Formats: sequence, C-alpha cells, structure tokens
Amino acid sequence: MSTAVQAPSARQRKKAASFDPNPAKAGWLTKLVLLLLCVLWLTPTIGTFITSFRTLDDSNTSGWWTVLWTPSAWSSMTLDNYTQAINGSNMGNALINSFAIALPATFIPILVAAFAAYAFTFMEFKGRDVLFLTIVAMLVVPNYVALVPMLKIYGALGMNGTFAAVWLAHIGFGMSLAIYILRNYMATLPKTVIESAKIDGASHFQTFYKLVLPMSVPALASFAIFQFLWVWNDLLVALVFVGPGENEPVTIGLTHLRGQLGQGWNLTMAGGFLSMIVPIIVFLALQRYFVRGMTAGAVKG
Amino acid sequence: MLLEKFGVAVLTVLAGIGAALLLFWLLNKLAELMPSKWEERIKPFFYILPAYLAVIIYLIYPAIQTVVDSFRDSTSTTFVGFENYSRLLASSGFRSTLFNTLLWILIVPAATVILGLAVAVLADRLKPQSEKLAKTIIFMPMAISMVGAATIWRFVYAAMPEGQPQIGLLNAMWTGLGGSPVAWIQQNTLHLNSLLLMVVLLWSQVGFSMVLLSAAVKGVPGDTLEAARIDGATERQIFFQVVVPQIKGTIITVFITVTISVMKIFDIVYVLTNGNFNTNVVGNEFFNQLNTNFNNGAASAIVVLLMLAVVPIMWYQVRHFKAEEANG
Amino acid sequence: MRSNVRIRTSAIAAAAVAATAALAGCGSSDSGKDDKSVTIWSSIDQPVQDGLNKVLTEKAKAEGITIKWQKVENINQLIMQKIQANDTPDIALIPQPGVVADIVKRGKAYPLDDVLDMTALKASMTPGTLEAGTVNGKLYGFLTSMNVKGLVFYNKEAWDKAGYKAPASIDELNALTEQIKADGRTPWCMGIESDTATGWPATDWFEELISKYVGADGYNSWVKHETPFDSDGVRQAAAEFEKLMFTDGNVLGGRKAIASTNFGTAGNPMFDKAGPKCWMYNQGSFITGFFPDDIKNDLDNKVGLFGLPPATAGGDNPVVGGGDLAVMLDNSASTKTAMKLLSATDVGNEAAKGSSFISPHKDFDVANYPNETTRSVAKVAYDSTAFLFDGSDQMPGEVGAGTFWKDMTSWIAGDQDLDTTLKNIDASWPAS
Repeated sequence: MSTAVQAPSARQRKKAASFDPNPAKAGWLTKLVLLLLCVLWLTPTIGTFITSFRTLDDSNTSGWWTVLWTPSAWSSMTLDNYTQAINGSNMGNALINSFAIALPATFIPILVAAFAAYAFTFMEFKGRDVLFLTIVAMLVVPNYVALVPMLKIYGALGMNGTFAAVWLAHIGFGMSLAIYILRNYMATLPKTVIESAKIDGASHFQTFYKLVLPMSVPALASFAIFQFLWVWNDLLVALVFVGPGENEPVTIGLTHLRGQLGQGWNLTMAGGFLSMIVPIIVFLALQRYFVRGMTAGAVKG
Repeated sequence: MLLEKFGVAVLTVLAGIGAALLLFWLLNKLAELMPSKWEERIKPFFYILPAYLAVIIYLIYPAIQTVVDSFRDSTSTTFVGFENYSRLLASSGFRSTLFNTLLWILIVPAATVILGLAVAVLADRLKPQSEKLAKTIIFMPMAISMVGAATIWRFVYAAMPEGQPQIGLLNAMWTGLGGSPVAWIQQNTLHLNSLLLMVVLLWSQVGFSMVLLSAAVKGVPGDTLEAARIDGATERQIFFQVVVPQIKGTIITVFITVTISVMKIFDIVYVLTNGNFNTNVVGNEFFNQLNTNFNNGAASAIVVLLMLAVVPIMWYQVRHFKAEEANG
Repeated sequence: MRSNVRIRTSAIAAAAVAATAALAGCGSSDSGKDDKSVTIWSSIDQPVQDGLNKVLTEKAKAEGITIKWQKVENINQLIMQKIQANDTPDIALIPQPGVVADIVKRGKAYPLDDVLDMTALKASMTPGTLEAGTVNGKLYGFLTSMNVKGLVFYNKEAWDKAGYKAPASIDELNALTEQIKADGRTPWCMGIESDTATGWPATDWFEELISKYVGADGYNSWVKHETPFDSDGVRQAAAEFEKLMFTDGNVLGGRKAIASTNFGTAGNPMFDKAGPKCWMYNQGSFITGFFPDDIKNDLDNKVGLFGLPPATAGGDNPVVGGGDLAVMLDNSASTKTAMKLLSATDVGNEAAKGSSFISPHKDFDVANYPNETTRSVAKVAYDSTAFLFDGSDQMPGEVGAGTFWKDMTSWIAGDQDLDTTLKNIDASWPAS
C-alpha cells in the first residue's frame, strides 16, 4: 500500500503547490457557521472528557460544567479512572492486539477492492451491472447473520481464536462498501485519460497501477480511514471470533471493566478516550491526501 | 511477545498486499496467455474474483442462508412457510417500528449529506491549519465507539428528579430557564425522542460524509473554478453550477450508503432506549429477535424485508449508471 | 516497472510464508480437546470471578486439571452463537434460567444429577436454588453465586434517629410509608432506568410482591404462564405497587421521574449531606456497590436494610433473587471434576471477601463475608421459606427481556393503563 500510494503522491504534492490551494477566502458568515458547528460537535465530548477526570460520586451529583466555574472542584479531579482503566484492561497488550487486527484488516481489502472497482468501472463484461448491484444490495445485510455460518466454517478449519479469522471477517464485511465507494469514485475520473492510455498501448494492469490507483488516492485514503476506524472500534466480530484472552483487542479489554449491571462506565469511558487517540492520528495522517489539485495533477502528470 | 505480534501484523500487511499483487499479476498473465479473443472477456472476471470470493463467503452465502431461515422456525429446524412474515406484519408493534424506520430514512441521509457538504465546502475556504482543525473536530465522534457515544449523550439528555441537581446538559439549561426537568428520551409527542436519537447518529456520522465529500470537493479541478471566477460568477453560482455537478456522483454515493446503513441502524437505538417509548426501529427489532428472543426465523424474515426494501435503491442506481454512461 | 514488480512480489511471497507460519503458532484454538484443561466462561463481576477462580484453580491443580476462566461480555448472546457453531467452552455461567432452558432444548447441556452429590447438595443449598436450574426434572444449571432482591435499604443514622421500625407485613409497610410522609418526608426512592434494560427494577418489585401474595407455587405457575398476567395475584401486586409508588408525595420526583431515573443512582439521595431526600430504596443486594464512596466504605454504620415483609406477619415468606447458573457443555472427566469442585461450599471463600458475592450454600461460613450488611443480606436468603429465581429471567426473552420490561415502563410513565399492560404482556407470550 504505502509504496503504491506514496511514490506518485510526493510528485503531485509539488505540482499541487503551483495551484492556489485556497482560491476562495472564508467570509465572517462561513467562519461563524463553522464555529457554531464545531462548538455543537465538541460540547458533548468535552463534557465527558472532563467527567473522565472526576470521581464517580462527583459526576453523579453535579453537572460537569460546574467544574468550569468552581475552582475548588479542580483539586478533586483525579487520574484514577485512567490508571484503573489501563491496569484493569491490560491495555498495553490489548493495544498491540488491536494494531495486529486493524492493520491487515484495513490495508488488504483496499487493494483487492480497488482491482474489482477498476473492472466494474473501466471494463466491459457480461453481467457487470448485476454483479455490481448484488454487492450494493449486500450493504443492507447485517453482519450478525454471518456470525454463526462463519463460526461453523472457522470451526471446521480450526481457525477460531486466531487473528486470521478476524482479518478475513473484516475483509469480507468491509468489501461491499469498499467496492461501492471506489467504483463510484473511479467513475468520476476523466474517461478520456484512460482511453488515451489504452491507445498508447498500456495494458489494463498498467493503466490500473500507474494511472487509476494514483488518481484514486483520496478515495483510497477515505476508505482506509473508515475501515481502520470500524475495525479498531469493533467489539462484535472480535468477541465472536477471537474472544477474550491473550489475543483480545482493546474493545474487549475495556468490557472487563464493566460490571454486570453497568457499573464502571467511568472506567470504560476513560479507556475509550485513550483508545480514541489512535484513529484520530490515522485521520490526521491520511488527511494530507485530501489536497486540492491532487487528482488534477495526476491527470496532467 | 508483544513485538512479535506487532511484527506479525506488519508482515501480514506486507505479505497480504504482496500476495494480492502477485495474485492479480498472475491472473493478469494467465489472461494474457489466452487467445486475445478470450483475454478481454476473461480478464474482468479475474479482476473481480478475489473481491467477489470475499463477498460470497461473508455476505452472499449468509444472506442466502438467511432467506432459507426466514421460512423456518425459531431454531431453524422445521419449515413454517410464510408464518414469520405474516406474524411480523400483523403485529401493530412492528408496523410502528416500520414507521419509525421510515422517519429515520427520510431525515438522516439528507441531513448527513447537507451537513457533511457544508463542512467540506466551508472548511475548504479556511486556512489549511484551521481547516484541519475544523474537520478533525467534526470527525472526532466517528472515532468514539457506540457505547462511548451513549455515555456521552446520557450527559446531555439525562433527567434527575425535580429538586436534585441536573447532570444532563439539556435539563440544566431547561431548568435554568425555569422549566421543570423533562425526561427527553421519553417524549414521543411528534416523535421528539426519535429525533433526539437521530441527532446522536448525525453527530457521530457526519464525519463520514464530510470525509468523502471533502475528497470530492478537493478533486474539482482548480481551473474550472478559476474560469468561472474570471467569468464573474458569484460564489453561490460557482457552488451550485460548477462544484455540485462535478461531485454529484459522490453525493449520490454518500446518500445511498447512509440510506442503506440507516435502514439497518440499531446500536444507537439499542443503547439509548432499546426501542422503549415508541422509538423502535427495524434494526433493533432484528437484534432483539436474534439475541434476546433467540428467534432465528423472525430475525431472518426482517433481514429479507430489508433486502427487498433495497430494490428501489438499486433500481435508482441502475438508472444513474445509464445516465452516467450516456454522458461519459 | 514490470521487473520492479516481480522482484518485490517474490520478496513479499517469502514474507507471506513467514507470516503464515508465525500465525499458525499464534492461534490459541481449543478445538483440540485437551482432557486436562477446563475452559469456563462467565459475565460475572471481575472480583467475584477472580475469587472463585483462585479457589477452583488450586483445587483443580490437586487433580491435575488446569482451569481457564474467562470473562466475556453478554454471555447470553455469545453462548447461543457459539452453541450453534459447536464451539463452546466446557462450562458456562449463565445468569438466565430461560437461556439454560434454551440450551437444553438444543440438546447441548449435560445433566448434573449424576455428576454432583445431589443428596448432599439438597441439604447444603438454600431451598429453591436447585429448582432454579432444573429443566424437565433434571438439574442442568447449578447456582454458583447469588444475589438477593427485595431488600429495602435505608440511611441507618437518620432512620434510627427518627425511630422507624422494620415492618413485619405489607400492611405495616403501608403504614410506615404513611408515617414517613406524615413526618413531612418522602418515603421512597425509585428509579427504573437502565439503558438497554430499562424497566427491570420495576419487574423485580412486581415479582417480589407477587411472591409474597401468592407464595412459591403460585409464583412458579405465573412464571410458566400457567397463570396469566391478567390474574388476581398479579392485579393485587399491581394495586400495592400503585399505592406505594403512584400516590402523590410517596416517591422522590413523583411518578413521572421513575422511568427516567437511573436505578444505580436512585438510592443516593438517601445519603444526601443535608439529610435523606427519600428514605427507603428497594433493590437487590448488589446496589451497595452503587452507593457513594463514603457510604460504601462504611456500610455497617451507614446502611440498614430489611427484607420486603410477607403479606401477613409470620406468613409464607419467599425471597426473590438472581445468580449465575453453571452449565456443563462438555462431558469429559475433567469437566465433571471441575463441576464437582465448583459445587463445593468453600469455593466461594475468596470471592466473598472482596465483593458482594453471596453463596447459595446455607452452610457457608458467614465469617467470610466482609461486613455485617452482607451477612444480613445472606441471612434474609438463608431464612426465607424459598428462594425464587427472578421471574423475568426465567420467562422467554420476548416477555422476560421484552414486553414485561417495556409495558411496565409504559404503565409507570403513564403512557398506558394497567389493563392494556397486562393484556399486552399476555399476548406477547410465544406459542411454543
């Protein structure tokens, strides 16, 4: 993945710089609307973030916002929730497991889906529409219906409890959306470019690898963000196919902190904030692929 | 041990991608070895083969199994004909569940697209650092698990008995204005509580449409914008006449994806009300039939109804293809 | 370009082989049944599990058996999926008799009558606890840990100062409620909000009242739906519930606050710094874990409790409770041995010390309980005429975790009347 994507993109970013990256300037109305949205979006999270530093008794008896104007409450803020969450869920080990599950389950399906999306977009063949629409229809099938059949198959192969079982499951479950998003994105690429490549004698494999893949980087990056996020936050598939134990990811580790009747939500919350850092970093890292002129650069290059 | 696991993960990524590339390359070679008449015919199937294998094993096969199970009893042992369907459709509870789901479908996809597009387009005009910040803030809820989101929103909607300090933000403001505490999540007049649950979904999922639409907006060639500007078009005209037509495909993609995921929405409803107070939706009903009532038959019938409901969407997609091809 | 790809792919192919090899060593599949190791799954709270595991592991070691005890989320759901796929642990601790019955129906559980020493257990176990795990006349679920419901908690310091007395009958309970109200105070704390499971505290209240009015046999007949919801005993319980909970001034926040107040924090106003805002809270033994820290750390001085009284003083006094039923999903010799060890009275010795664990064994050494409060909870159970397992947990999921919760909640929230509520629940009972 990294080699396939980065090589062309470095070249393009230089090209992109020759464009004015910011042709329209934001007026005060734009800024106000965005500021309002951001405040609305942040408030619930900030509230809970503050709560994660409070004792359970405090958060049960007074609103989190009271902390803001009661300096005396600051001294009773504590890191307890975090230390308990880290120790109680064996977070170090669980984080490694989460990476071990999420990385392959993110990157492998993208390449596979990209090939299929290319075929659905740029190749003519019998039954193309039907095959593609079947994939779209599968988007509505809840993952739950696949759990028992998969458990049976994995059981027969002796795969239950292995990382590979989860990788493959996530690859399968994510494939439908990956193909759908990538195919629809590729359909927006200028057909003339692909046709001129064909006239120049490029094979499909070359067109895909040298032209379509680099031009699809924003869509690939978007999907990578989502797939990573979903796999990282997944509890269901991990619980059913890996189960608790030495291979458990963070999501399962955090459930050990919760009592049968929902006690310990303060610890799960603190753990949740820690685990959230990773997908945010992934988002920030991949955001550099959303740069104006990137696809245009590829077309011209 | 830890490093070993991490190493395995990295190796698997490399190996998986390498193996995939090798596989495609081999399939490609194989196709090229064939007589050229066959080559062009067989190649597309080789390209979609690995992806389709995954879809068949993980989605199509279970889906077919589900269709079969929908005609069988709760433990999937004996055939019962259409009994699961007739019992579902006859129950008044299920009809209001369908109505609630329809409300979600009518409101959420449109709202997600509009908000996502607004952020994508407006943030595009900020300085790069501010843009990054704004987009990260809107994206952040996506990184929060559903259970986490439920906890977060409990601190917004919670109601304490009158006279107790309110720990829910909404009630704190409401009682601050002189009202008496309202159990927001129970107010089903005009489906207010369903709307409040939709707010949670919007909050967590607008990031999805923002990311995709933002990628599309960035993909609009700068020269078309410049040309319009030189022609003296206003920003509003540029948006509706230059930007929107070029990202229409992505808008439709996002709209359809969100619509389909809303059709099976369950986690938000499950964790916040579990369908109490007339907020039940089809996805939650499916989950409860499967995991609370252990009724495979009824659960499968619900999934089949969902699959049937996707047909109009697919029909629209076909038409969109045709239009695309005619224009492209 | 082409040669480039070829070089890279061959290197990667080598890496692929290496990774697959590493993987094979990494997977911890217990499909190959090692007869000397027993896997146990449970959803019980970590401290209880750790305590039980500690004792069991030591005992099993003497027999040459390794115990692998794992805490899983939502065991009721997970176990059904795993059963359908034939991929189960050897023993599972299931909190719902209804699920145990479902496992038996699917033919995946092994009866315990021949495995355990039934005569000894009948003498040792609290009456009714073995019946809770009995399906079709055979024992399939062995109650390993239990909780007791129908306990009325109060603020001990304020209570003693006010001079209130624990009631001996339901009439006395009504009189006490009136007395507290006459003193210008709010008698009851009440809350039934519990996320996904909203309504269960109300069904507990109902079950407790029904058991007091109709006795153990009547209760069991109602749980099996031989007696419908729309029947005299249930209506009697509903009338009493209505009197206590819906009367103006009886509940903190009034009737409308009940459905939105969380059950875990509903009792905390009893311990308000300025004196109790409400005076009594009827809940299960586990609720002490939700009390504020300063109360939790000084339970014996701060908290008092009495069991919900019988209908008439000195009359039939069954107690309702819950717990985790150990189900055997494998019949190897090791699993049977582990099951036997798990049924011993002293297996709970460690678990009791640091948690709200209550042993179902009457002959359990109460000195192991960490405080007087837990001892008095255990006493309520051991002294009862019968232990009745939580009815909603025994009913089919459609009712026990469905309409019973939901329609009760609608009734309490004032969205529908009692007649509709009882009819709806009766109508939802699945035809089996």
